[in-house]
This record gives sequence, structure tokens and C-alpha cells, in this order.
Amino acid sequence: MHALHRRPLSLAAIAAAVLLTAGCASAGADAGQPAPQASDHAGGSGYPVTVDNCGTRVTFEQAPQRVITIKSSTTELLVALGLGDRIVGQGYPDGDIPGTIAGQPTGDVDIPVISDQVPGQEAALELEPDMVFAGWESNFSGEGVGDRATLASLGVKTYVAPSACKEPGYQPEKLSVDDVFSQIAEAGAIFGVPDAAEKLIDEQRSVLDAIEPVDGDVTALWWSSGTDSPYVGGGIGAPQMIMDAVGLTNVAAGIHDTWGPYNWESVVDADPDVLVLVDAAWNPADKKIADLQSNPATAGLDAVVNKRFVIVPFASTEAGVRNADAAASIADQLHDLGY
Amino acid sequence: MSQILTAPAGTRERGAALRRIPVAAWVVVQFALLVLSIVTAVTVGPADITVGEVWGSVLSHLGIGDTSLTALRDGIVWELRMPRVLTAGAVGAGLALSGTVMQSLTRNSLADPYLLGLSSGASLGAVAVILLGIGLLLPVAAFLGALAALLGTLLLASAAGSLTPTRTVLAGLAVSSFFGALVSLVIFWTASGDAYQEILSWLLGSLAGARWPAVAISVGAIVVVGIPLMLTGRTLDAFTFGDNAASALGVGVTGTRWMLLTATALLTGAMVAVSGSIGFVGLILPHMVRLVVGQRNRAVLPLAALTGAVFLIWIDTAARTVFDPRELPVGILTAVIGAPVFALLLLRARRFS
Amino acid sequence: MTSTPLLSPSSSAAAAVTEADADAALTARDISFTRDGRLVVDGVDCTIPVGAFGAIIGPNGAGKSTLLHLIAGILPAGTGASIDFDGSDLLSMRRRDRARMLALAEQHGDTDTALRVRDVVMLGRTPHIGRWRSEGPTDRAIVADALDAVSMSAFADRVFDTLSGGERQRVQLARALAQQPRLLLLDEPTNHLDIRAQLSLLSLVRAQTAAGLTAIAALHDLTIAAAYADRIIVLADGRVVTSGPASEVLTADLIADVYGVRADVLPHPRTGRPVIAFDTDS
Repeated sequence: MHALHRRPLSLAAIAAAVLLTAGCASAGADAGQPAPQASDHAGGSGYPVTVDNCGTRVTFEQAPQRVITIKSSTTELLVALGLGDRIVGQGYPDGDIPGTIAGQPTGDVDIPVISDQVPGQEAALELEPDMVFAGWESNFSGEGVGDRATLASLGVKTYVAPSACKEPGYQPEKLSVDDVFSQIAEAGAIFGVPDAAEKLIDEQRSVLDAIEPVDGDVTALWWSSGTDSPYVGGGIGAPQMIMDAVGLTNVAAGIHDTWGPYNWESVVDADPDVLVLVDAAWNPADKKIADLQSNPATAGLDAVVNKRFVIVPFASTEAGVRNADAAASIADQLHDLGY
Repeated sequence: MSQILTAPAGTRERGAALRRIPVAAWVVVQFALLVLSIVTAVTVGPADITVGEVWGSVLSHLGIGDTSLTALRDGIVWELRMPRVLTAGAVGAGLALSGTVMQSLTRNSLADPYLLGLSSGASLGAVAVILLGIGLLLPVAAFLGALAALLGTLLLASAAGSLTPTRTVLAGLAVSSFFGALVSLVIFWTASGDAYQEILSWLLGSLAGARWPAVAISVGAIVVVGIPLMLTGRTLDAFTFGDNAASALGVGVTGTRWMLLTATALLTGAMVAVSGSIGFVGLILPHMVRLVVGQRNRAVLPLAALTGAVFLIWIDTAARTVFDPRELPVGILTAVIGAPVFALLLLRARRFS
Repeated sequence: MTSTPLLSPSSSAAAAVTEADADAALTARDISFTRDGRLVVDGVDCTIPVGAFGAIIGPNGAGKSTLLHLIAGILPAGTGASIDFDGSDLLSMRRRDRARMLALAEQHGDTDTALRVRDVVMLGRTPHIGRWRSEGPTDRAIVADALDAVSMSAFADRVFDTLSGGERQRVQLARALAQQPRLLLLDEPTNHLDIRAQLSLLSLVRAQTAAGLTAIAALHDLTIAAAYADRIIVLADGRVVTSGPASEVLTADLIADVYGVRADVLPHPRTGRPVIAFDTDS
């Protein structure tokens, strides 16, 4: 019964998702089709739910029960929504599931890993999933877990995290916190747990509200990978969103992409106050620090000399439920550095 | 049967006038152009530094006067731009030189320095370091990979009989394909997150990582291997009418061929080790030079080296500035520019069999 | 137009030596070569006096080209073989020294190169100039003389692959002459040439032998071989069948044995050299 009371609030979040995913659709597309669509059928609250996901329409007649997740961002989202037991397998993880998300413990979840890389079609279908939840659009390919049409014909629903859509009209103009929240809300609608979604959004929001952005103009470079040519956070993706939340100015904001290749000359020219270093298994933060110190051009950077490094784990940098925690951690590290 | 592209009939008058200019004059002109290019290219870049400040910085490092720049900005000029421009010149020269020698040795005008599987071998070394985390320095691993591929090619080519041009080409193709497949396998199997970005840059060919050690390797290779190679023009020309004619002219065919192939491989291997597989330079530059000075290798070799140096310096300058603040791997630009130029050569060639 | 001998002064004296002087000759003994298990040349002995024009004839596959390559040192001549030319042991010479003594002109009708004629002939100077030096005025003069000797001076600036077959062969001959050899080997130099070009080329060679050069040519046309050669070596299945002056060697019986065709051998009305009339009925 109290689900009905909560409905208007989650409908608001869903409406935001509608605006985002359907509002920018190209002319002649399903402009008149709001998504997701709740129905009054007696067959289950809120179902069937139809979403326009990166240009593909998917209809869920019931809550998915056997989900395969690809990439940590999707796994973590479901775990945070309390749906860890519905995951039959995860693929291509970026790291371990953290102990807490937005202040809430994730519990003792042990999700089997199908593959360290994108799982193949047979490996995935062997687990008899009813849904594949992918973190990148490219996961749905012939060499990957299968293309969306084939899986749909086999009765497997396919869904890409909306913030990872690359098509014009679906890719967020500039990723904002609300985009992440509407992604959570849409997942809540799909899985039939709108309350949990709303609660998670509130937790995320409170983490973000608790952040004290730095004073003044503090410049930073978000260095993700690459040695000869740094691959950095650009102006429209999750890195920019996180930097905005903590009050950092991105020296590479001119790159109109979520991440993009940059050059050391521009970095040295900008001499950022702080260096945000992404810690990944294939390119750890201490290797980045060693590279910065051994490269004679960057060894003299103010941030390198004074060791103003902020470390953030790779898995938390994809748009998802860990962004708020990442922002909070970065803010703490900045305060420790004196900002 | 060798396929040589010859100048079209219509340009014979213009060509004749060009050919009256002695080769020595061309060498002097190209050398001057090279010096000019180095001095100019180092003043170009995303950071806002004036020409005077750049030269002031360079001169101060050479011991003349002081720099007016802060230590960091001085570092941009001396630690980033200068080594990169010098490496670009050396790599361009080395690749053009290797391409010329390979085209003469195999009597095939479509040969390039990577014919012996060198680029695939070097790529395997590079992915081993970047993706598999093997604890070697990247240039060392790339060089070892190139040598491994060369060994494979030479063994395969000579196992089937004596080392003829055709067998060398075919063996090189086989080894290239094999190593290339291994590279793809490693990438497909292990690339996580955005590690593919780094390996992609390397495979496309990039000078972004060129620091002073890269200068030492590439310029060193030119001095130790490239300059002697430049002087083998007469020996290469002796092969014009085949192995028998070369032997009758007093050239030890087998020994010379092995020596030239090995020298080319060493030179190319060193270049690929510092810059990845930059394509088209080794293929196109020899043809461009031949259009102007004719077929004699004694003239083509030094001019190909000098022209290759100037060419790559400017293409790399474009790669790092045209798409500011993004940087393009230089191998993309050499292909974008090289392919149409090659098509133009094909269309205008009088005879192509 | 007189032909200019391209020989060093000391070699001209050799022209006065008689046939009886065994040293003044190319003497090859026991030359053998096996390829793919087949004995292509089998224990060949032959002698060509200095200043003579020798012809090697025989059916296809007799081993004519291979024999030339063996004499030129391109192929190994087998153990026990010896090749002496005018007192020098060719087999023990360094390759480059040998290239200064003998030159090989092959048929290259199908090789294209964009080199200029002048540069092709300059290739012949390779064994003299060596790897590191530059070509000098002497070399250029020798190249000019060689082109003059084959009447191709007007073509000096032409690109090689714009030339006709006959012209290319003459340039190849000029290249060989530019090597200043004392022994000239020619491998089927008249293939693909029209009759006028054939006669003209061989006349050039004969003019050179008259000035002291020793020439050995593998020829397939019996009448032409008879018209020009002082000495003929007949090869079949890698072995020498017979050798000697043309009028002695070329008989109807020999032609029947070696070539398997019937012919009549008649003396040329003016020169007296053998002319072969083939029997088309057989």
C-alpha cells in the first residue's frame, strides 16, 4: 500500500529519465512514447515497463530474475539496490565490490565471475539469463556477449547503462548527477524496486551534499592511463562531473569527450595545482607517479614537486553508484592537502 | 621481372631540367631544408611560447646565453619539443633509407622497411610490455621482437633454398601475418579498461614518447648503420639486372644480400622501437625522390634520408598541433597523406605492369 | 665507323700470339655442375685461344648457359676443375679481380629499369671503382668509348626501358665492354633480335676480338655461329661432343646426331664458311 504513496516521487525520477532518453530522440522516432511506461495491468505493479535504451526499445514484462552484469558499474548498481542475489554472473569486472556504497554496507555478496573479459555468447547463455545489463555499448557485439537483436530473439532482455550511450541524442551533453540518479531510478523501475532506488538516490545525494568544495580556483588534471600520450578525463563525462562536485577546474575541459587523448606539453603549460591519478590494475597510481617524476618535462610540475596527488580507483570512475563516494574521497584528500 | 614506376612522358621536359641539377646541389639544398625544419618545428606547439623564447632556450642549453623561460616552460622546449623533433628527423631518415634499400634488394617497388616482419615483431614486443606487463623497457622489447621476426623471415626464406628476392618477400609476409595474429590475440585477450588506448597509439605509430634516450637510439642508429648504408648505392645498383649480373660485376651476391638485409633490419628495428610502426614513409619517399633525381641509388639513398627527415618532422608537427588539444598518432597522418600521394604516383606512372 | 678497342695496352700484344701457345688461351678442364640431382655439365674440357671468337652450340638443355656461368665463376665448378685464362687461374681469383678480367653479357629483354643508358653502362665500371669511391673522368671516358663501340652514343641520355630489344642488347654489350674485360662471355645475345640486329651485334663482337678480346658466345643459330666463330664447341647433355674450327665441326652427321634433324652443309659462296640447309621433309 505505501508503494502507492511513494509512486509520485519515483514517477518524478522516471519522468526525468523520460526527458533524458526520449526527449532528445531524433525526429520521427517514438516521441510520443514515454519511457518507461507504467501500466495499470493487474499482472504486477508497474509492469510492463518499456524503456528507450540507447535507441533500442526494450519492454520488461516482469522484474528480471537472472541477470548477467558486465563491468563493475552495473554489478555495483544492482548490489546497491539489494538485488545481488539476482545476478547469476558478472563479466569484465574492474575491481572488487567495495564494502560500502554511499555509506551503506553491501553485505557479503559473492557473485561468480564468468570471465575477466567480455563473456562470449555461449558462456553467457549457458547460465540461462533473462537479462544482460552491460556497462558499455560495445559489450553487445558478435564477439562479445551477443548483439542485442539476437539476444532479444532468444528472450533475453538487453540493457546498457544509459550514461554510456554514445549515439547523439542519447549521450548526455554533459554528464550530471541527475543523469546518474535517473539511471538509478530507471533501474529501479525495471527491476520493480522503486523504493530501493529512491533510497539509494537519497543516500547518494546526502553523500554529495556533505562534500565541501574547495575554495577558489584549483586546477587539476584527471589522468586515467597512457604514458607517452596521457589519456585524460575530458569535459563531458564522469571525471568532469566528479571534479565539478568537488570544485576542481579541469585543465582538459576543452576536450569534448568523456575521456580523450591529451599531450604533455599542454599539461606542463597549464601546471595544474593537483593531479588526480586513476589507480588501475594495468596502470597503477604509483607507476603514474614514478613516470611523472622520471620524465624530465613533468618532474618540475608544481603538483609533482609538492606531491599533490589525489588517488581514485578506476572502478569508481565510470558513471555509476560509486561516483558519489569517489567525489567524497577526493574532497577528503584535497582537504588533507590543504585545500 | 621488376616493376619500376617511371616518369610520365608529359613531364619529360620538366624532368629533364630537374635532372640537369647535379645531385650534390640537391643534397646541399635538402640538408639546409632539414636544419631549417628542425629550427622552425621546435617553435611550434600548443603552449604559448614565442619564437625568440624558444631559440633562447635552445641556445642556452647549447651553452650560449641564458634562457628567459621558467624552468617548466624551458622543459617544454628542451625536454619535450626538441627531442621529439630530432627523433622525428632521425626516424624519417631511417625509414626512408630502409625503404629504398628494400625496394632495390627485392627489386619490388612496393617493398617497404617492414617487409621482413619487423613491424609485427616489434608490435609483439610492445604489447608484451604494455599489456602483459613484461618487465622490459619498451624500446628494448620492441627491438627484440623485431629481431625475432627478422630471424624467422631469414630462416624461412633460406630454408627453401637460396635467399632470392621473391622468397624473402614471401617469407616476410608469412612472418608478418603470424606475429600480427599474435599481437591481435594478446590485445583481444588482455586489454582491460582503457589500456587499449596506449597500445593503439603505439600500433599506429607515435612520436609522443620521444625523449632524449629516444634521440640517442634513433640518431645513433643513423650514424652507426644509416650512414654506411647510404654509401652502398653502387653495390645496390649492381643488382639491377639480377643476381648473375651482380656476381659477374664482382659483387658477392649472397653475402651482400644478407649484410644489407641485416643492416636494414637493425636500422628499422631501432626506429620502430622508439616510434612504433609509422607507415608509408619507407614506401613513398624513395619513389618521390626517384621522380626527381632518377634511379641511381648513389643519388637516391642520401636524398631519401634527408627528404624523409624533413617530411616526418613536418607531419609530426602537424600531428601534435592541428587537433589541439588532442594529439593524433603520427602514423595516421602519414597514411592520410601518404595514400593519396601514392595513388597520384600510380596514376601518373607511365608504365605499371 | 671504326670500332675502338677497349683493352689496356698490354693485352693488345696478346693478339700476336699463335694458337700453338697453350698459355694464351682460355683452358677449362673437368668442369662439372649438378643441379637438383641432375648432372647439368659433366666433365667439360674446352680451349679457346686468346683473341678468338668461340661459339658454344647445342640443343636446349645442353648446358650452354650453365657452362658460361661456371666459367664466369657465378656457379661453383666442382672439385678437380680448373679454369685458366692466359696464365691466370680464374677459380682462385677474388671475385672482384675476376670481374676486372672477364665480363658476362646476358639477354635482359624483360628487365625494366628507369636507369639511363649512360648509368647502365657505368655499372660495368663497378669492379674498377669499388664500393666507396666515386666515378671519375676516366670512367666517364670509358663509358663514352663503350657506347661509341656499339654505336649507341646518341642514346646515352635515354631511359633504358624506352629502348627496343636490339638497342637494349647493345647497351648490355657496352656495359660488358666498359668492364675492360679480356674475356667476354655472351649468353644467347641474339635472342629476340631481328636479323639485322643479330648481325650487327655479332659484328661488333668480332671487331673487338680482332683487337685482341677473347669472346665466347652461346648461340642457337648454327649458320650465324658458323659465320662468325673461329672455333665452335658442340655441347649435348652436358658433355662436349666435339670442338674445332667451324668447317671441321659442322657436318651433316654431327647435326643429325646432336640435333636429330637432317641437313646439308654447304660452303658460303663468298666466305667459304659452312652454311646449313635444313631438310624440311624429315
